Amino acid sequence: MTLSYVPGDSLAHGVDPRAKLLVQVGFAAAAYAYTAPRGLAALTVVAVACLWLSGGGPRDLWSYRAAFPVLALAPLVAGATLGAPWFRLDRAATTGLASYRVVLLLVVAAGYVRSTPVRESRAALQRSVPGKPGQFLGVGVALVFRFLPLLKRDLVTARAAVRARGGGALPVHERMRLVAVAGVNRAFGRADRLGTAMNARCFAWNPTLPRLAFGRRDVGAAAVGGGLLAAAAATLV
Amino acid sequence: MIEVDGVTCRYDGGADDDASVTAVDGVSLSVADGEFVVVAGANGSGKTTLVRTFNGLATPDAGAVAVNGTPVEADLVAARTAVGMVFQDPRDQLVAATVGADVAFGPENLGLSHDEIDRRVAAALAAVNMTGRGDERIASLSGGERERVAIAGALAMEPDHLVLDEPFTGLDEPARRSVVEHLRERHAAGTSVIVVTHDLRDVLGLADRVVGLSDGRVAVDAGPDAATRALAELGVRVPESAASDDASEAGR
Repeated sequence: MTLSYVPGDSLAHGVDPRAKLLVQVGFAAAAYAYTAPRGLAALTVVAVACLWLSGGGPRDLWSYRAAFPVLALAPLVAGATLGAPWFRLDRAATTGLASYRVVLLLVVAAGYVRSTPVRESRAALQRSVPGKPGQFLGVGVALVFRFLPLLKRDLVTARAAVRARGGGALPVHERMRLVAVAGVNRAFGRADRLGTAMNARCFAWNPTLPRLAFGRRDVGAAAVGGGLLAAAAATLV
Repeated sequence: MIEVDGVTCRYDGGADDDASVTAVDGVSLSVADGEFVVVAGANGSGKTTLVRTFNGLATPDAGAVAVNGTPVEADLVAARTAVGMVFQDPRDQLVAATVGADVAFGPENLGLSHDEIDRRVAAALAAVNMTGRGDERIASLSGGERERVAIAGALAMEPDHLVLDEPFTGLDEPARRSVVEHLRERHAAGTSVIVVTHDLRDVLGLADRVVGLSDGRVAVDAGPDAATRALAELGVRVPESAASDDASEAGR
């Protein structure tokens, strides 16, 4: 399963993407400002609420499964030492909290992605960042969100094709090589075809963007984002 | 009208720098407004490359293509607006996560007003019997439904000419019938329709004219009845009834 927009009528679906982006920025700032267990516990509540309000749940986190082993392994690597005492708990705990912080950011991002159509993200960026930089960012976001699910599907297909012809018996590094080579080939082909499809439909740097309206609900979300930013800033004072 | 004048397209031959493959070789033809033309030929005969020159997705190495009197290279946006194209694999064409967003992609790029975009999206979805399904995820659609969304995406540009590249590949019988019915309706509405195929069974009855390609050249350009026998020799699958008619005529 690839994390992507899921049509729905949850509270987050109805919130202006600019307000949702502000919540994300505020959350990221707060997560880096409050690194103690108590602060992260409070942020856990916010992160879970963000995902829940977007109609999501634990299943949505499955798409991050490749990242979780790395995040889980990081504290062990950080705590290990080459000599006595062989393992330093304080270092492992610090890295463990940092890993957990990343997990929380991923949870909030999952809530955003599943409740925000790509073109609304593009519109939010282009309206928030004026001029060419905004257009560049908007197009970048649109292309990444369109291309990544296709690329992932191609990799899964390549892996299935390797397995279907007995590739499952090959050593792991050989399977990885086969899937990587096929994946890169497909990625180039896919990028070419996506570009052609967009050209055929008159791809423009500055298209008509979807309507965005800032309403009462958005004020609430923006207040949450602003509050998180203010809380983060308070630690600097 | 689409006018193709002596178009030649070559592709790089790959590792050997000196080798190049001529996909389309000096083709001249025209497609009148409201005409239903089938471009047929075996795999590798140059069909897809030829129709891609109609809206500038392929650039001829020689010759010229004009759409509605304007050379394609002089105004690519005009050409791509006038010539809607549905690719062989709809997955290559669908660029958004939901049906409505994908159909709106083209009109948004034209910079149209929101009201006009909404109108075009609604009309295009209605034309392919998908009214009210704008919020559905494309990933959850069947092959036939994706084909219909791809057609709707092209129709939303309100093209004068609709080009479909192998539109029946991978579709089951009901989906094929559905696509044929939509093509019939578009043709009746005055849009010229160009179908690229190596299998004439579904569209021969709709065609005003059949252009058969072989090795990048026009081997036959005639009405459907006259073209059938020559097309079978080019490796094109023709309806069994047409093939048997030809056989009995030959036996007389």
